Amino acid sequence: MIKTTQWVAICLVLCLSVGTAFSQGEPVAPSNVTAVDTPNDDGSSITIKWDAAAEDTGISGYQILRRIADGELEPIGDLLPAGTTAYVDSAIEGGTAYTYVVRAVSETDATVDSEQTPAVEGTGEWFHTGKTAIFIVMLLFSAAIVWNIYDARSGKDIFVRRIPGLEAVDEAIGRATEMGRSILYVLGLGGVSGAATIAGMTILGQVARRTADYETALRVPCNDPIVLNVVREMVKTAYLDEGRPDAYNEDNIFFLTESQFAYAAGVDGMIIREKPAAIFLQGTFYAESLILAETGNSVGAIQIAGTTSESQLPFFIAACDYTLIGEELFAATAYLSKDPMFLGSIRGQDWGKLLIFAALILGVLLELSGINWITTLLQRVS
Amino acid sequence: MKRQVPLILCFLFGVVMILTEFSPHAASQSVYNEIVNWTLIVWPFATVLAVATLVQTHWARIQRRSEHWQYSYVVFAGIIVMAAIGVPFGMKHPAFEWLFNNVQVPMGATMFSLLAFFIASAAFRAFRARNTEATLLLVTALIVMMGNVPVGDLVWNEVMAWSPWSDKVSEARQWILDNPNLSARRGIILGISLGGISQSIRIILGIERSYLSGGDA
Repeated sequence: MIKTTQWVAICLVLCLSVGTAFSQGEPVAPSNVTAVDTPNDDGSSITIKWDAAAEDTGISGYQILRRIADGELEPIGDLLPAGTTAYVDSAIEGGTAYTYVVRAVSETDATVDSEQTPAVEGTGEWFHTGKTAIFIVMLLFSAAIVWNIYDARSGKDIFVRRIPGLEAVDEAIGRATEMGRSILYVLGLGGVSGAATIAGMTILGQVARRTADYETALRVPCNDPIVLNVVREMVKTAYLDEGRPDAYNEDNIFFLTESQFAYAAGVDGMIIREKPAAIFLQGTFYAESLILAETGNSVGAIQIAGTTSESQLPFFIAACDYTLIGEELFAATAYLSKDPMFLGSIRGQDWGKLLIFAALILGVLLELSGINWITTLLQRVS
Repeated sequence: MKRQVPLILCFLFGVVMILTEFSPHAASQSVYNEIVNWTLIVWPFATVLAVATLVQTHWARIQRRSEHWQYSYVVFAGIIVMAAIGVPFGMKHPAFEWLFNNVQVPMGATMFSLLAFFIASAAFRAFRARNTEATLLLVTALIVMMGNVPVGDLVWNEVMAWSPWSDKVSEARQWILDNPNLSARRGIILGISLGGISQSIRIILGIERSYLSGGDA
């Protein structure tokens, strides 16, 4: 009897030990596995998701397996760490349907597969739904500007606040003319596609019209080959429009170098040698901004700067006589030409600012009241 | 007609490029990449013209014996040597890399280091306490500078450790940077962004034509 009891006890212990060992090595199959075409992409990926496994299931990782039509299941990518719940398969071909299986791998290399997902194809979306809010705001803002531009054509008087930097343009050109010295116009390091460079070139066009009238030498050292060619054409046209093609000297607009500090050294050399009476620094600037502005200051030139590089603005404010801060650079065309359509676009810009200002106040008030949908919306947009 | 065609092209490409920003579809992205590639084609032609103007300018300086005309020979020497090595052997050639790393890079670094002296002279002018605003600027700048430089740390955390507000300088500096400074920067950035969009719309609609050499259509 005692012997039988001992055998039963030994069998029970053995069964429990094997059962425990087996349960630790056998992972649980991943559940709720879904495979969907990745939203808002060009159709080049499929996203596979599954539920997170409980911590005590002994899973050490996941392997994604993929099947094309009736083919074999093939592993893709590396073993994913435990805790992963999603995988993006970016190695797919358009027009091909794929099915997926997520394989759980235990610490003892035991595996268990999930159910196979339904077949899914990657398709590109024509519209990025995550950018809907930006698209709507862009349309509203564009509509405000276009409406104001065409409204301005009716001849309404549009007020634009005084911008001292632009008021001083004539003063600077007049000073250079009286002193018989040249005007140096620096467009910075931006390419022709840069908004600040285009704005700088627009002001240059206005400056060139006046220098054509006054027969003042206008020197433009360029950093970008394309900018050089555009600027030459612009200035030439300005001189032609003013009826002074004979005063135009192509040699005054030249390429210096593409290298940032070599350009700064070249322009500094010109400032020291030629001592221009007026220096315009309009465009995109980086660390060379203060090197140029301080050198200009040292020769006593009247300096008008303008840039959209907000980190360089303090340097210009410290070293130049006048500085166009950010958006003032874009308003220069309207301000100098007084064209109603340009002025209308400035008013449209102000409507945009008003909209943002209203959103800021509303957002702050709602946050203070514990309502944060506007903050959530803005975070989703960013 | 000479102006109308570029204006129409500008409108079409402007609208297409905006739409590609909102469309992730492969066809849309290939259009975007294709247009960007087209713009690259212009670059070599413009570069040839640019180098030609550089040579022309310096040749004229030598001929006219302008001030410091001798340095124009250095420009020609630089162009010839770098082109003689770079064109046949490529930019990865050891001689080309040696010249770049041992001539151009140190000269660029020298110019950059001059910035320290220019900052000192500009700061001296900007921080003179001539009026209330300038005094405010001076005090703010002093707090931020003392919070940033190692000597500031030594002064407030070691020498002035007995002071009840010794640890407040660092907090004040961070507060200035995070609140008034950042708010002003964001305001400027918002204005710049709106101004940029406004200018883009004017260009796309053909209202602003400065890039077409100015003038009316």
